[in-house]
Amino acid sequence: MNSFAIAQPKSFSDASEMLKDKKYSLAVVKAGGIDLIDLLKEGLIAPDVLIDVRRLHGTKELVAASESEVTIDATATLADIASSSAIREAAPVLAQAVEGAASPAVRNSATAAGNLLQRPRCWYFRNEQFNCLKKGGPTCFAIEGENRYHAIFGDGPCHIVHPSNLAPALLVCDATIHLSGAEQPSIPIRYLYHTPDKGVRSESNLSPGAVITHITCKPAKASGFYAIKEKQSFDWPVVAAAVALELNGTVITKAVVCAGAVAPIPWELRNVANALRGVDLADDAALTKACSGAAAGAKPMSENAYKMKLLPVAVKRAVLIAAGRKAEVES
Amino acid sequence: MKSDVAPALANGPAVIPTDMPTSNRPMNMGQSMNDNTSRLDGIAKITGSAKYSSDMQLPNAVYARFVRCPFGAASLESFDDAAARNVTGVIEIEITPKACQYNGQPVGHVVGDSPIAVDRALKALKLNWKKAAVKTTIADTAKVEVPQGSVDGADVTVAAVYSTPVQTHSSLETHGGVVDHKGDRATVYASTQGTFSVRDGFGDALNLKTSEFEVICEYIGGGFGSKLGGPGKELMLAAKLSQQLKRPAYVMCNRAEEHLDTGNRPSSVTSVRIGLKKDGSVVGGEVQTYGGVGVATGGGGCNVPSGRYTFANVNKKHEDVSFNAGGPRAFRAPGRPQGAFAEELMLDEAAAKLGMDPLDLKRKLAADDVYRAMMEQGAKLIGWSDRKANGSQKSVMRTGYGLGVAGWGSASPGGNAEVVIHQDGSVESRTGTQDIGTGQRTTMAICCADAIGIPLNLVTVKIGRSTLPVGPGSGGSVTSPTTAPTMMNAAAQARDKLFEVLAKQGGDNAADFSMKDGAVLKRGEKFLSWKDACARLPADGVMGSASTGDRGKGDSQGVQFVKVVVDCETGIIHPKHVIAIQSCGRVICRKTAESQIIGGVIQGLSYGMFENKILDRNVGAMVNPNFEWYKILGPCEMPHIEPVLWAHGQTGVKALGEPPTIPTSGALACAVFNAIGAPVRHLPLTPDKVLAALEGAGA
Repeated sequence: MNSFAIAQPKSFSDASEMLKDKKYSLAVVKAGGIDLIDLLKEGLIAPDVLIDVRRLHGTKELVAASESEVTIDATATLADIASSSAIREAAPVLAQAVEGAASPAVRNSATAAGNLLQRPRCWYFRNEQFNCLKKGGPTCFAIEGENRYHAIFGDGPCHIVHPSNLAPALLVCDATIHLSGAEQPSIPIRYLYHTPDKGVRSESNLSPGAVITHITCKPAKASGFYAIKEKQSFDWPVVAAAVALELNGTVITKAVVCAGAVAPIPWELRNVANALRGVDLADDAALTKACSGAAAGAKPMSENAYKMKLLPVAVKRAVLIAAGRKAEVES
Repeated sequence: MKSDVAPALANGPAVIPTDMPTSNRPMNMGQSMNDNTSRLDGIAKITGSAKYSSDMQLPNAVYARFVRCPFGAASLESFDDAAARNVTGVIEIEITPKACQYNGQPVGHVVGDSPIAVDRALKALKLNWKKAAVKTTIADTAKVEVPQGSVDGADVTVAAVYSTPVQTHSSLETHGGVVDHKGDRATVYASTQGTFSVRDGFGDALNLKTSEFEVICEYIGGGFGSKLGGPGKELMLAAKLSQQLKRPAYVMCNRAEEHLDTGNRPSSVTSVRIGLKKDGSVVGGEVQTYGGVGVATGGGGCNVPSGRYTFANVNKKHEDVSFNAGGPRAFRAPGRPQGAFAEELMLDEAAAKLGMDPLDLKRKLAADDVYRAMMEQGAKLIGWSDRKANGSQKSVMRTGYGLGVAGWGSASPGGNAEVVIHQDGSVESRTGTQDIGTGQRTTMAICCADAIGIPLNLVTVKIGRSTLPVGPGSGGSVTSPTTAPTMMNAAAQARDKLFEVLAKQGGDNAADFSMKDGAVLKRGEKFLSWKDACARLPADGVMGSASTGDRGKGDSQGVQFVKVVVDCETGIIHPKHVIAIQSCGRVICRKTAESQIIGGVIQGLSYGMFENKILDRNVGAMVNPNFEWYKILGPCEMPHIEPVLWAHGQTGVKALGEPPTIPTSGALACAVFNAIGAPVRHLPLTPDKVLAALEGAGA
């Protein structure tokens, strides 16, 4: 770890200016500092300045919800989101996505924006000894190596899975990411990330100097999130699903479905969304069938075909949670 | 919990809560020597006032780390350390190019004024490695065949292959320590299970006589077998550097190094063909086991058949298999959990084929009536009668029950103890043995107070120093069996010397005196308070010492029952309840004894469900040298664990550290088999394997 300065901007636009300042060789935003510390320790970045935005706010309240809009400050912590009754009412998928993430200590520090922009957890990327594609090397070591936790979707050439639980949850709520210092003032979350073939060294489409100020989305009262984790304490999902429904009684009139931990970006499952339309939630067989196509088109690697069995289960459970039937999916 | 720990913390570590109730089953043996005392150094440990060797950052110290091979097989052909030498604070870099055979193998070291200087220098080194082909598993080297055919004369035959992964010890405090060499004397702060084996293991490395240096290990953050023996390469380097640089030298592994190069429980493969008659008796068969010992050539034993069940004429063969990985070290009950996993699951598979309840089969085959009695009791406590036939459940969440057995022999390597009664009434209990975490400080205080007949708070325990009376290494569950009777003898002797002083002063016989309720009696009548009696001692008090005691007899035995719920859509296992019955002879301190059992169960479940040192198959580097991907049981996986202490004719203090971790993973695997109707024969029991087994079973 090298020495670095810590700068404390007065506003997000200040922060953007600092990020663009040529006097720094590498300026990096620090919010909760969770992923940042890992990256520093792993030797993946060596910034000369940290732009500390932890105390800045892009909105009046950390989290808020009205009948028409949900707002989350960039520096709201995962714990703020999980514990907000307003969010639980307006868009439960968001609270559910983060309530079991990592550990209580991490949730009390990690921020919404930091969660969206964290780097992937691939064990080759995170290990200094492997000069992988994402670090400018020649190969994705997962292809011929240990890939049980890697992607089943996407055409590579890098096979990371997108690490954020919040991102797929925001995607099904059709969220907008509000920015400072960018060419445009906002970007729909659907366009926040790119697949590795569009640039393997980075994951997001934010232009240099852009910082997230806050996030807005529509309420999604009938929404749910389900993560399948090997370990229930402090572990990453092997598969996750976020679902937002519109219902007419027990009949699904519209669905948006997005999977996590299966592809390099939050992976929208439009085929499942289409199949869910018209399904009566009272008909378990029809629901199972509609979810069964969740892994269609997957290209599993040598060790991770099991994720294809898990994904339809996660989607179905997320649907049941969205429909208010959480008790049915608990062990 | 009645006591409030918070005020104790606010007031510093003086208040030790002593009235916390134990929540567990009553023993069938009546009272332990002490039912209520909590670990005496618990508050010191949780407040940080207890100093571990890794806390010893001495003024003006130098710090060093090894330069290690990043691959499973590679030759260091050349290196360029110019940039590393330019890092501020770097003192010395020493590298010897050579061919390495495992990820983590040292080729040299870097020394600096601070950990960060060393870290920067390591990053600045340019090492030119030439990689070679690697072997990373038993199967890469040995040709493991699934045995075929049935056993002559058997009604059913189980023919299957079982395997277990490499488990690292994952001690919270890593390996290493500090050497502070002053030229004519030295102090060594070691993170060790063997204070005296570290002392003796230095040989000439310190250029001092044994009497000229002291090894100190007052607290240790876990070892589980990996910190037995001599100083290890970390302390040997510290010894060299401290002499050469005339400064204290600090060498501790980081987490990755700890996973790579400080030993492990070797992987195993067990290939079995075993035949049984309809009544459950074993007619014969073969067991071929393999131990995956990395670059070592031995130490991979896999204890099956264990001898805890009666098998007739089963031929056993074993082979240790080498490949490109760090070698094993002793790990809590070496070879036993691997063997127990295969043995317990194999018997449950046999029971299923026979249409028998596995409890009935195991009761029949148990080599000892004690196991049968424990099985009976444990079955009641876990609710075995609610167990459904294998694979009969159709719901998503399926409940399963399993059991396993454990045994451990009795050994006492010997050791000394001293007890000093001071003029002010305080009592000093001395033995050099370290506390690996079992509660050595607490048990020594209890033994001492009990033998004299005084309250615990009068006793100060001194442990973990090579200048104290010699004591055993903490391995093989020998520490309490060795030190407890010796300490009791020393304490009784000190008390008798006090009585002699009193007798001489009053013209009485020492035999006239006795202790009751913490006071001294003369011929059965209260004579003096303890304090007043001790005030009559000479200035240097009296000292008792002993080198032996009543070691008792009998082995330790245990039976564990595990209840799980398996989510059959996700393959996730939820452990719900564990009954852990365990004998250990005389219980000194009930809470620390129960804590040993609970810890053994947790480690066993963690081994069964998660732990796995994963090497990249192409370059042999460990992909999970951390606690993120090297997964360990966490709070959300923790079942309700009920330790049950059991007596069955053992006398004296007996083994307790190792046995409670032996049967857990096997019992877990049996419970999963019961729930889903198909055996998962390869640890850890991860969702991919559970789902694959379910698919195979057509569920």
